[in-house]
Amino acid sequence: MGELLNGFAVALTPANLLWGLAGTTMGTAVGVLPGIGPALTVALLLPVTYHLDPTAALIMFAGIYYGAMYGGSTTSILLNTPGESATIVTAIDGHQMARSGRAGAALATAAIGSFVAGTLATLALSVTAPLMVKLALAFGPAEYFALMVLAFVMVTTMLGASPLGGWLSLLLGLTLGFVGIDGLSGQARLTFGIPYLLDGIDPVIVAIGLFAVGETLWVASRGPLVEEILPVRGSLLMTTDEWQRSWKPWLRGAAIGFPLGALPAGGAELPTLMSYGIEKRLSKRPEEFGRGAIEAVAGPEAANNASAAGTLVPLLTLGLPTSATAAVLLAAFQQFGLQPGPLLFDHESALVWGVIASLYIGNAMLLILNLPLVGLWVKLLSIPRHWLYAGILVVASLGAFSVHRSAGDLWLVAIIGVVGFMMRLMDAPVAPVMIGLILGPAAEQHLRRALSISQGDWTVLWTRPLALGLLVAALAVAAAGILSRRQQVRT
Amino acid sequence: MRLALAILIALPSLAGAQPLVITAPAAPGGGWDQTARAMQRVLAEIEPGAGVQVDNVPGAAGTIGLARFARSERGNPHALLVTGLVMVSGVIINGSPVSLADTTPIARLTGEYEVIVVPVASPFRSLRDLVTAFRQDPGSISWGGGSAGGTDDLLVRLLAEQAGIPASRVNYIAFPGGGAALAAVLGGQLSAAVSGYAEFAGQIAAGQLRILGVSSPSRVTGINAPTVREGGIDLDLANWRAVVAPPGLSAVEQAALADRITRLAVSGQWRETLRQNGWDDQFLAGAPFRQFLLAEQSRIEDVLRRLSAADQSQPSNRGPALTPSTTPTVIGTTLLLMLLAAGAKAARAFQPVGQPGVRMSGTIAAALVLLPVVFTRLGFVLAATLLFAMVATAMRSTLAIRTIAIDLTVGVAFSLALSMVFTRGLGVALPSLTF
Repeated sequence: MGELLNGFAVALTPANLLWGLAGTTMGTAVGVLPGIGPALTVALLLPVTYHLDPTAALIMFAGIYYGAMYGGSTTSILLNTPGESATIVTAIDGHQMARSGRAGAALATAAIGSFVAGTLATLALSVTAPLMVKLALAFGPAEYFALMVLAFVMVTTMLGASPLGGWLSLLLGLTLGFVGIDGLSGQARLTFGIPYLLDGIDPVIVAIGLFAVGETLWVASRGPLVEEILPVRGSLLMTTDEWQRSWKPWLRGAAIGFPLGALPAGGAELPTLMSYGIEKRLSKRPEEFGRGAIEAVAGPEAANNASAAGTLVPLLTLGLPTSATAAVLLAAFQQFGLQPGPLLFDHESALVWGVIASLYIGNAMLLILNLPLVGLWVKLLSIPRHWLYAGILVVASLGAFSVHRSAGDLWLVAIIGVVGFMMRLMDAPVAPVMIGLILGPAAEQHLRRALSISQGDWTVLWTRPLALGLLVAALAVAAAGILSRRQQVRT
Repeated sequence: MRLALAILIALPSLAGAQPLVITAPAAPGGGWDQTARAMQRVLAEIEPGAGVQVDNVPGAAGTIGLARFARSERGNPHALLVTGLVMVSGVIINGSPVSLADTTPIARLTGEYEVIVVPVASPFRSLRDLVTAFRQDPGSISWGGGSAGGTDDLLVRLLAEQAGIPASRVNYIAFPGGGAALAAVLGGQLSAAVSGYAEFAGQIAAGQLRILGVSSPSRVTGINAPTVREGGIDLDLANWRAVVAPPGLSAVEQAALADRITRLAVSGQWRETLRQNGWDDQFLAGAPFRQFLLAEQSRIEDVLRRLSAADQSQPSNRGPALTPSTTPTVIGTTLLLMLLAAGAKAARAFQPVGQPGVRMSGTIAAALVLLPVVFTRLGFVLAATLLFAMVATAMRSTLAIRTIAIDLTVGVAFSLALSMVFTRGLGVALPSLTF
């Protein structure tokens, strides 16, 4: 508790408040704009923030992550194109509400629900993180390896239309991750004699290629766009009835989003879908779902914010990213020479708690940014699409160039962008590429470390209870995934 | 007329003040980059008017920067390269055709000694205890530290050889850095950990770690622990950083550069920089530095060559049961097999792309391939404008001279604004138009 108060002392300094405001504003903007999301934004900012104070930079990045969850809903409601993958579900009923003149109420329940759930989940983060740190200290290389195997299985099982796409995506990420000098032996792997590849493939370059270039090519391949932005109609002040129908979904959304975000299940898609399903089942008026039910906006919007906070638990305490944005955030920590994990809370207490405290403040800022100021963000939506995507590609190229100040990286961005485009054509999820790229080499090194310490004895993987438990969980998830697919096929 | 004459007279003297370019063979933010930028700052203070630039050429333990420096700066008396111990081993590990012998040594600037630590509950009370157990069964002692071929790894291997154990029998477990090895040594999973003192200082002060040895020739003030030599092992090692000049300089040019760096190293500003960064002053120039460099090269080359020779005969001893190539081979093969097996299915799963879609995404792909070709030649602003206009035009549903003109105008404005933000605001140097 004292640590959290110290965190507030850090987060409330004028400079850090400004960085937080910059982050939440930028986050809302990229959340509103289709085609650009928090993972890409943080990746683009990494090369230009290495000389910043790490606390300030990470407060800004966390603000971007939270902000994008808020901003995405505005686009989903007014445009019927999700601003973010986390707000796909919101688009279903949110847009219907806007069509029937209740855009104001939809925006309000999304923003207030995001605030309520975001704050509750941040509270849960403050409570569970120290507990997780105690648990994490018992993690040795064998446990980390088992945990990462669980993460791989969950990401591929839960994301995307087919397990095949998920596995292809993960394997691609793993293979890209092995390129370069092996950290344990110093040997070059998969470099094919090209000196450029000795340093490996930078996750930032891959993120820019997959998310900026891949997405632009995908949007372009759909042909000319016809979009209609609905005006904000209806009062932003919700009626008593709307409050009554919203508060329970908010709380349920928070309860679903936080734990699912903390699990290695690849971000906010799954919790938002689950929240939608549960609200529909619990509702007295399930027939309204799909035609503008406020619960269907309130629940998923709360769930996606709570899952963002949930993601931070394994990221900060174990160094385990569970979504694409978290994977890029991990790269951000590493850029500042910080290794997230139990010792981070020891060594960088002020930084960690400063970032957590900034999330409470950020949530309050975001409520103001997204409700009274919603008109500003609607203006952002009226940027013509051809200029928006052209601008995204220019900024992306600039970001890719600044990573190593090398024009050679632009080739890699173009190649990975085309691969990302093909994956979208195949309906394969791209997030597992990022998870595999970042966790793959780490998982392999942990396995080899575990085997080195045990002098080649493979039983370390199942004689340690925690490692065994995690591996069994991975098997169970894989089995459950296969079973549920069979059922889907049958019905 | 007078003005033109004045400019003509002034030009040669301006050209004479050619800026010094310091190459940091690493990405911004690392130790070599920090050294280069610290030199830039101090030189700017002690030599008003002299221009100093830092050029980052990252990659492969600095060997990419080294190769480029030795090739393209030959004979240039206004160029320096930051280097260090890690580059000496990087040259050998990466099989780089260019080594430090292809440069002109100028001076060593800083250094940091290593410490060998055990958890406070460890049965090893002294380095002698640890080395005795190590001699009895080398595999049973697991050493942790930073990446393979780095200073920590080298220290353990050199120590093993001094203790009469082949370097290849060391059970060294590499972590991303000394700090990451900390959790494993505190958790009792490693016998001992090795890193720079600063990485472990917090846990040493908190009484969680015991220092068995410091890799300095004599005791270091501020570290209350014996040296490795006192533990009976004839060895000292520092993670040093130095500057070298390109090959092909005259004796006069070499002396001028050495003088300049000596003035830097004795300045008050440099001492203050060392203090702020916690760097140890290990200034050494001239013939003694050249001898030092040769000695470091030969001892590191020896241990690494014996290590890689041993590796080929017994591939298992650097990661039992799993060689470095096992996992990439398994994963890569699975990926290819799945791609082949799924090929037919995936082809059907592809979502159709309509005629306008092919034109639009095709044009954008062409723009992206064109970009790296023109980026450094046309400069950022023109290349970005071209990209912007091509993408915007491709994504419009209609095509007209008027819309292309509008897109070009918006592109120029956007690229100029972005370039201003990056170069002025963020200090990122962007390529400009060159002829």
